[in-house]
Amino acid sequence: MYDLIVVGGGPGGYEAAAHAGKMGKKVALVEKEQLGGTCLNVGCIPAKTFLRSSRLFRECCEAAAYGVRVGAPEFDMAAVVERKSRIVATLGKGVQGILKRAGVEVIRGHAHLISRSTIEVAGSRYEAANLLLATGSRPAVPPIPGIQSEHTLDSNTVFGLQCVPKTIAIIGGGYIGLEFACFFQEIGTQVSVFEMLPQIAAGADGEISARMLQILERKGIEFHLSAKVRRIEGHTLHFATRDGKQSSVEADYILNSTGRVSVVDDLGLENIGIDFTPKGIKTSEQGKTNIPGIWACGDVTGRRMLAHAATREGMVAVNNMFGRKDRVRYNAVPSVVYTHPEVAMVGRTEEELRNAGIKYKKSVVPMAVAGRFLIEHEDGTGLVKVLCGSDFGEILGVHAIGDGCSEFIVAAAIMVETEMCVADAGEIVFPHPTVSESLKEAMAGVH
Amino acid sequence: MAVAVEMPKLGNTVEECLIAKWLKEEGQPVSAGETVVEIETDKTSFEVTAPVGGTVLATFFEQGALVPVFTKLFVIGNPGENVEAFRPQSKGSTPAADAAGSPTPSARNTSPGGQPVTATDASLPHSAAPFSPRARRFAEEHNFHPRAVSGSGPGGRVLEADLRALYHSSPKVSGAASRRVQDGAEAPLEGSGIGGMVLASDLDAPETRISGVREKIASRLREALASTAQYTLNSSADARGLLLLRARIKASSTGPDINLNDLVTFCTVQALLQVPALNVLFLDGRIHQGRGVHIGFACDTPRGLLVPVVRDAQALTVAALAARMKELSAQAVQGKISADDLTGATFTVSNLGVLGIESFTPLLNPPQVAILGVNAIQLKAVRREGKVEFIDSIGLSLTLDHQIIDGAPGARFLKVVREKIENVEQLCTI
Repeated sequence: MYDLIVVGGGPGGYEAAAHAGKMGKKVALVEKEQLGGTCLNVGCIPAKTFLRSSRLFRECCEAAAYGVRVGAPEFDMAAVVERKSRIVATLGKGVQGILKRAGVEVIRGHAHLISRSTIEVAGSRYEAANLLLATGSRPAVPPIPGIQSEHTLDSNTVFGLQCVPKTIAIIGGGYIGLEFACFFQEIGTQVSVFEMLPQIAAGADGEISARMLQILERKGIEFHLSAKVRRIEGHTLHFATRDGKQSSVEADYILNSTGRVSVVDDLGLENIGIDFTPKGIKTSEQGKTNIPGIWACGDVTGRRMLAHAATREGMVAVNNMFGRKDRVRYNAVPSVVYTHPEVAMVGRTEEELRNAGIKYKKSVVPMAVAGRFLIEHEDGTGLVKVLCGSDFGEILGVHAIGDGCSEFIVAAAIMVETEMCVADAGEIVFPHPTVSESLKEAMAGVH
Repeated sequence: MAVAVEMPKLGNTVEECLIAKWLKEEGQPVSAGETVVEIETDKTSFEVTAPVGGTVLATFFEQGALVPVFTKLFVIGNPGENVEAFRPQSKGSTPAADAAGSPTPSARNTSPGGQPVTATDASLPHSAAPFSPRARRFAEEHNFHPRAVSGSGPGGRVLEADLRALYHSSPKVSGAASRRVQDGAEAPLEGSGIGGMVLASDLDAPETRISGVREKIASRLREALASTAQYTLNSSADARGLLLLRARIKASSTGPDINLNDLVTFCTVQALLQVPALNVLFLDGRIHQGRGVHIGFACDTPRGLLVPVVRDAQALTVAALAARMKELSAQAVQGKISADDLTGATFTVSNLGVLGIESFTPLLNPPQVAILGVNAIQLKAVRREGKVEFIDSIGLSLTLDHQIIDGAPGARFLKVVREKIENVEQLCTI
């Protein structure tokens, strides 16, 4: 009998298992593929290694603007993939080490729920006082004829590309699609993005997403908004434009990045009456499902689909299951889009505040108010936007676009988390010269 | 030769310092330069060292005592030497002595561990509350003014360490929440934020003071309940005639504007003419018969419930009654109604039927002895000649003061009201 069995070894599951292990609990973790989950193997980490290489490639191309002359750089896709695999392997070993040090037993195989406290893996049954479901998500496959043809990639298979494509058509202008759009654009691929909605980066603050569209279009990425992809035939993607006209494009590859769906099938959830939909298992802020003793965290809940949100959800669930009161304060979970330029945000968007009828004040400053930003980015553009309550000035949301913002958004997250008021935040000293000073200036601009 | 060591003067404005901690006790050996006692002012702390080696022969003050500068603190010498010559004369004070009102140096701590000390925001910085100067300074710097804190100093004196420990162990209040607390919101002991931080969402909504009108309503209703013996009878009347009449009035573009409530009120006035026993006031143990039917009607206004009164309603046609009610309710809603038009009713009608209420308990407006609640019109099944049919029916809830009106006469009056409503077409000449 275990104190806890975690199903799924991604950033939600393995961190939670280690946390419980360090509390002295008897813990097992079931994983059917690689430890580290989507984030480490086919998500955040591989994507960021790709983007690091593409940024370096672009910087080499732009080096002359900084007074540095280099020859014509070449992008070696195979080497980039090899580097990615090396980093993934190193971090994967790290995960194994974390689990080992915390005394977590790793069970390999596919878990199936038998009862509220029993799972079956490869014919053996295991019992636990608590089950934490952290089975994650997989790329969504929209019902588009031809979506699974040989020239179509998804956010898993794209990491195996061995050469730079000349053209790529990306279905989906969400965070994942946009990151790949930036990657391919920077390495010289002609990129077109097809988005169903009238804006890109859905969920981001409207002002940020509009600025992002402007910047990416200027970089040469072609956007088709309010477009419906009809079918894929070989290298041809057929779509209906905003005004309903039928059109098509040719591309070496078509990348499906229409989002991710929770892995809720083939687990036996229905056997024990867990409340779930295809969009995920329903959980409380404490990580509880409707069944006592069964908990869930991460993408399988369909809540935030962010690695760090999954980790926090897992820790919260473990804390609660072993008697420490805790909850996920979703309003203070930051998120980052690793496009070039990056986008980082935490808290409520202006649209959310408006819809909720919350009175707010706002301040928007260009990122170039920070000298460091100009130093780092010869032709950089960006902005920082601060939203706060109109009566007390508590910081409700911070949204930024511009390279460097991913590193300082945590400061804003602390402010949102602790409901800091903008007047008090003004007393914080920001180091000079850093890009973070743009946040300080944005806060100072709230009147 | 014994040597006495005085409390040093740590600054131009410093008149007294606090004994923070004795590092040596009486009878302990000490070498020259070794720290014997730590003292503190509200700004700094300082170590007092032994000027010579020897034995600590006497310490004159307890930890936590406030000692004037240049007062002798302790004596170093050889065991057996007399120290009485050095003992200060009732100048320094311990907190315990403060409380007793008779300062005695070296008075012993009578309550080790200390009792929780109540301190309020206002009293902290200036009062003689048993806070050490450094504790006071800590409280001010951290804007931390707990309601209760246990002091570990003598007599429960709160030391900086006590406050610091409490500060770091108690949940914090977020910036947004603390501003709301200053505005009057009540904060729980523990919140749902990071480390138990109290967030704005953990606070109860701030209390709202009720308006003058609401206050009057509240006290009248309390009095009404306290001074009467209320009970409610529920019944219903066939409303088909009422609805037909209303439909006819609506259809005629030239006729007066009379709504259902006007019609029911008119029927009530007619019923009161027939049963004058309910058109009375009960005052000081006496029953006063109403000279006319002064009918009050409940009116929902932005300032709360008002009850305008139509005087001598018995003299009015239904159209005139309707016109007067409209006039008075418009004034009530606009806040322009005169006080005279809000008093003197002998009977009240309250209509919640328009809001879909099917039955309720109207509250009496003493000294009146009855109030009629008018409810929504609903379909009601009735048996006629062996068949069940559905008719429109209007609910009536009559609250009475049992002190004056018993159940049966009350029910009989309600029956009369019902009959009037059911025959409203004959009753009204429009």
